[in-house]
Amino acid sequence: MSAVHGDGSGAPDGGAGTAAGPGGDRQIDWVAAERSPEFRELVKKRQGFVVPATIFFMAWYLGFILLAGYAPDFMGREFLSDGLTVGYVLALTQFLMVWGLGWAYVRRADRVFDPLAEKAAARALQGDDGSEREEVPAR
Amino acid sequence: MTYLAAVNTTALAVFAFVVGITLVVTYFASKRVSTATDFWAAGRGLTGPQNGFAIAGDYMSAASFLGIAGLIYLFGFDGFLYSVGFLVAFLAVLFLLAERMRNSGKYTMADVLSFRLNQRPARSAAALGTLAVVAFYLIAQMVGAGVLIEALVGIDFSLAVVLTGAFMIIYIVAGGMLATSWVQIIKAFLLMAAAAVMSVWVMAKTSANPVELFRDARAESPEGQKYLEPGLFLATPLDTLSLGLGLVLGTAGLPHILMRFFTVPDAKAARSSVMWAVALIGAFYLMTTFLGFGARAILGTAGEEAAGTGGNLALPNLAENLGGEWFLAIVAGVAFATILAVVAGLVISASGAVAHDLWSNVVRKGTDSEQEEVVVAKIAAVSIGAIAIAIAVIGGAGLNVSFMVGLAFAVAASANFPALLLALTWRRFNTTGAVTGVLIGVFSSVLLVVISPKVWPGPDSEGGLLSFYDLANPGIISIPLGFIGCWLGTVLSREEEAERSFDELYVRSETGLGAEEATGLRLTGGSDSKRTPAEPAVTR
Repeated sequence: MSAVHGDGSGAPDGGAGTAAGPGGDRQIDWVAAERSPEFRELVKKRQGFVVPATIFFMAWYLGFILLAGYAPDFMGREFLSDGLTVGYVLALTQFLMVWGLGWAYVRRADRVFDPLAEKAAARALQGDDGSEREEVPAR
Repeated sequence: MTYLAAVNTTALAVFAFVVGITLVVTYFASKRVSTATDFWAAGRGLTGPQNGFAIAGDYMSAASFLGIAGLIYLFGFDGFLYSVGFLVAFLAVLFLLAERMRNSGKYTMADVLSFRLNQRPARSAAALGTLAVVAFYLIAQMVGAGVLIEALVGIDFSLAVVLTGAFMIIYIVAGGMLATSWVQIIKAFLLMAAAAVMSVWVMAKTSANPVELFRDARAESPEGQKYLEPGLFLATPLDTLSLGLGLVLGTAGLPHILMRFFTVPDAKAARSSVMWAVALIGAFYLMTTFLGFGARAILGTAGEEAAGTGGNLALPNLAENLGGEWFLAIVAGVAFATILAVVAGLVISASGAVAHDLWSNVVRKGTDSEQEEVVVAKIAAVSIGAIAIAIAVIGGAGLNVSFMVGLAFAVAASANFPALLLALTWRRFNTTGAVTGVLIGVFSSVLLVVISPKVWPGPDSEGGLLSFYDLANPGIISIPLGFIGCWLGTVLSREEEAERSFDELYVRSETGLGAEEATGLRLTGGSDSKRTPAEPAVTR
């Protein structure tokens, strides 16, 4: 996403959201940016992954914790071999879940979310009149 | 010098070596760090992998290295529940906060809140949340450091606490976040290497089969099969759930972890750093299996007394059993590095809350210079370090710290996490909501822990201060209370500015538009010619 950043050499104007240089009209219209189809698509795509993934990992983890709390006998049952318990195997699935979901998120972010974010940022920087804005100051 | 009566010189040599490396790193860092961005965010110049190691080093405290191994040694499966919770927590960090923090913050988590909320109350609330977490966490670590060093090296408790605090202050004051980050990176390497060597050694000494290790451990436990089942340590089911919730959501509210995302150039590096951290932290917690169950299989019941309170010394005892005096010294040195890296991370985040949030933006209302901000940050770091040393020394080795790390996580989950998440995702959220949420989150966690059985041990008050309340972990009550506080404060007030500025924060946090620039600070080599001369004091 570095494309939307400035080169860092310019001194930002600073201040409370005053993206305005000499002309106040160069300020980014954040409301319009938030409503732009590019931004909407980014949010939709990201939420399409994050919301179900969060529900899944919380459910899988809390399910594990609830079993540990309320069903210790079940968790202590032998799994395949004496000494290996259902509880330990379920704990291992938590490790696999973290690595798997994390990997899937990063892959999707690199391939889908980042390009969309760049588009949404480019759209925000572009006024209705099509004029390019200068960099947005960090706050 | 009665202090040094029975000093273990081998361990002392290893400690000196560890401290020596960190001081060299700090020396290099001190030549580079000048601006506020250098001081708190290491110039935002760390790579994803570097920051991943630093997160691992920041996160895995002695409670992870010695504490979990000790819990597994004493209580079997329940100890491993901590390993699972500490790791799963990073999915919440990755999905909900890592990139958004990087995109919309500057040095502290308060930056994100005050972006759309009324500056002074929002920053004050966030600073309270930060300082509360740091206070509990830091005192627990300092007392732990003193106890450990006294047991392992033979240096007197008070002297050990003072030394730990002194090195921590030196890293921060001289080298800021750059030195702190590299101390954490080095510690992560040492910790992973030590855990890996011990795991392999345990397997070589027992049998190469992990399932056989469980059988051996079970045979050495008086609890028998129960040792491999949950319930020996966490006896109340609701308490288990409460602990689990607190661990998973608390991590996403730990100020010293969130602060780490400001040290990378962009959101992409922020998420890659989480993945590196997850790989390292996951591998480590997986190895606690070999460390904990291995300690049981090898040390047996005979080692329980020597393992001390909470089993914290089980791992050092295992090291001595495996490799004798030298290996014990090395493991002790790694434990020391572990504590140093964590306390440095904690104190630098607290210095941000004091200098950047409270001093610069609340007291001086943004009129101070950046130089002043950095000077105040260093004064704050020294003061916080000194206070922590004083409390640990006065409280002494007997200070009951067992509930403090849990309390830090509870405050983080109940106060910081709800406010941050809602500020980033809920349009209607406002200043009143943030302030009430943080206050309720902090005070409900503290109150629930104060009346819990952990603080009132002993036969007279077996069930805690109140007979009907026996939860050791407050999360299941305090986290919903924190969210309800945020919601209630919000719906009972109206703040149009907060709703209007939501669009801006939302677009910035999702796209990285206008995010803080990296200034390209490096520890060594390379030229800093591309760096901007000095950032203007952009405060808000």
